[in-house]
Amino acid sequence: MPYDLILFLNSIRWQDIVDIALNSYILFRLYVLFRGTNVFRVLAGITLLWILQRIAAAIGLIVTSYAFQGIIAFAALIVIIVFKNEIRTVLQTKNIKTILWGLHYKTIKTPIEILVGSIYELSRLNSGALLVFPAADDLEEFTQRGISWHGQISKEMILSIFWHDNPVHDGAAVIKGDRITDVGVILPLSKRNDLPSYYGTRHRAAAGLAEQTDALVVVVSEERGEVVIAKGNRIIDIHDNLELEQALKDHVGESAEPVSSRKKENFRLGLAALLSFFFVSGIWFSFARGLETLITLEIPVEYMNRSPKMQILETSVNDVSLNLSGSGTIIKSIRPEQINVRLDLSKAVVGSNTFTITPENITLPPGVLLKKVTPSVINVTLDVTMEKKLPIQADWIGKLPEGLILQSAVLTPAKIKIVGARNVLNKISTIYTEKIQLDNIKKSGEMTVKPALSPASLKVGPGSPDKITLTYVVKNRPPAGIPK
Amino acid sequence: MKAKIFFFILVLFITSVLPVYPQSETDTSSMRPGKKTILVQAVMCEGVQNYSPVNPAVVFSIDSGSGKISCFTAFDPVAKKMFILHNWFHQGRIVTRKKLSLKPPKWSTFSSIQLREMDKGPWSIEISDPRGKIFKTLRFSITD
Repeated sequence: MPYDLILFLNSIRWQDIVDIALNSYILFRLYVLFRGTNVFRVLAGITLLWILQRIAAAIGLIVTSYAFQGIIAFAALIVIIVFKNEIRTVLQTKNIKTILWGLHYKTIKTPIEILVGSIYELSRLNSGALLVFPAADDLEEFTQRGISWHGQISKEMILSIFWHDNPVHDGAAVIKGDRITDVGVILPLSKRNDLPSYYGTRHRAAAGLAEQTDALVVVVSEERGEVVIAKGNRIIDIHDNLELEQALKDHVGESAEPVSSRKKENFRLGLAALLSFFFVSGIWFSFARGLETLITLEIPVEYMNRSPKMQILETSVNDVSLNLSGSGTIIKSIRPEQINVRLDLSKAVVGSNTFTITPENITLPPGVLLKKVTPSVINVTLDVTMEKKLPIQADWIGKLPEGLILQSAVLTPAKIKIVGARNVLNKISTIYTEKIQLDNIKKSGEMTVKPALSPASLKVGPGSPDKITLTYVVKNRPPAGIPK
Repeated sequence: MKAKIFFFILVLFITSVLPVYPQSETDTSSMRPGKKTILVQAVMCEGVQNYSPVNPAVVFSIDSGSGKISCFTAFDPVAKKMFILHNWFHQGRIVTRKKLSLKPPKWSTFSSIQLREMDKGPWSIEISDPRGKIFKTLRFSITD
């Protein structure tokens, strides 16, 4: 396996996997919910625009990229406004379970035989009728809502709706599943000029709705008793009940064999899921990898596992410079405490030791790749730890107020034990206190001071206090002159 | 009778000389009259006047007084004609080494430095004999 691929796989975080899985699922659910609707087609168009925008941005077409961005933002807004009814229908007609994980809509079989029987009974009685079988499109914006019915389909019911003296018999009846949902619905009239002259208003209404939506409309002629169906731009004469039955079955999706239909559906859903995954992975890769950002950070080196008997005397560097790469988002979110450079001193010896910094010495947050370490080699000098008792001396700064003399200062204890590297301690003969300000001293007194240990590797030894008592005596300066 | 008079004068001399030099330091050798040289006074001061330190202190300002400081030492007794060293250290590093003569029976001497801006910080002076035996270490600071 190539090294780059291993690095890439190692750099994938669990958050990335969740990110891709979650968004793939959301995209898949959107497909399941909106498939077959105009919203889905428009969303697909917007997605295509987005891909084009990314390509334009990648090859440096600045104006084109901005133009596409504007169009996408505008189109997204338009989708919500224009298709609000369709979106509402999809969301309202499904429960939360269906929205989140339902794969197949609950299919309510349309009683086609009853419908066919009823339609031919109407035909025999020369009773005009207009029956609408909606598909995926929402009809609300194309029709004038009639009277809400929601009645179970039965032959008697249909005959009574289109009975001559029924007030709603001139309007259309809308049939969804096994129910007549609305009656007396007014349909838009077709403006086509090629319709036969004997077609009345009922036929034009059927043609008008079929042209604008994916609904199938059945017309029963009042004068001739003929049955006609309108779908899309076609108006088809129906010659017998079998033909009508087949047309209705084709429309409601019952014509195919149920098993093969289920297989096809499953295949389609599987393909959609796979495409959703690849699409989201592509987007993720585009964001997370495509926009590779470089950063250089100065990170302090931590020296680990040093023998307690030894001390670090000197290091060639205290910080190393790390050149890191990753996506802009990840690089921006890096905090220095997430990165560690650790050197294992367990095998170090007294004297000079040379270490090469390898990726194993560096801890990086997931998704961040190491490009370079500078310097890559570090020298560490170690020495044996020893204890030494050293005199302590007050380190005064500032200026005493005019006319005063600091005659004596006694530190208790006068000596303290210091633990440190042998080489360091051998060069030190006195430990100084922290800086003591003279400006505020006006009379004799006592204070507590701390030893200032330099280098920082020095420590106060066991048994010695880390605070020293300073007793000082201040006297007024005598008026006599000072001999030159 | 002559022997009694001589003994009386000797006792009188010893008792009259000892209280003159306060024993302010503690790390001198145990006193064995006539055998060892003993440091009886060692102080930092702004100057020396009439064989005495002026304004002994532990902190000195570079722009006050005479512009110099002195390390005053008094020995009693001085066993033989000899010299001592005043080793001046600034922040642990030796700056100057002053060689000073001592003569029996007792002797006071001092060394001085001129104060400069760069001299600010903690100082120490080791008072030692030629063989390196340290009589005492004085610690002081030079400040603003």
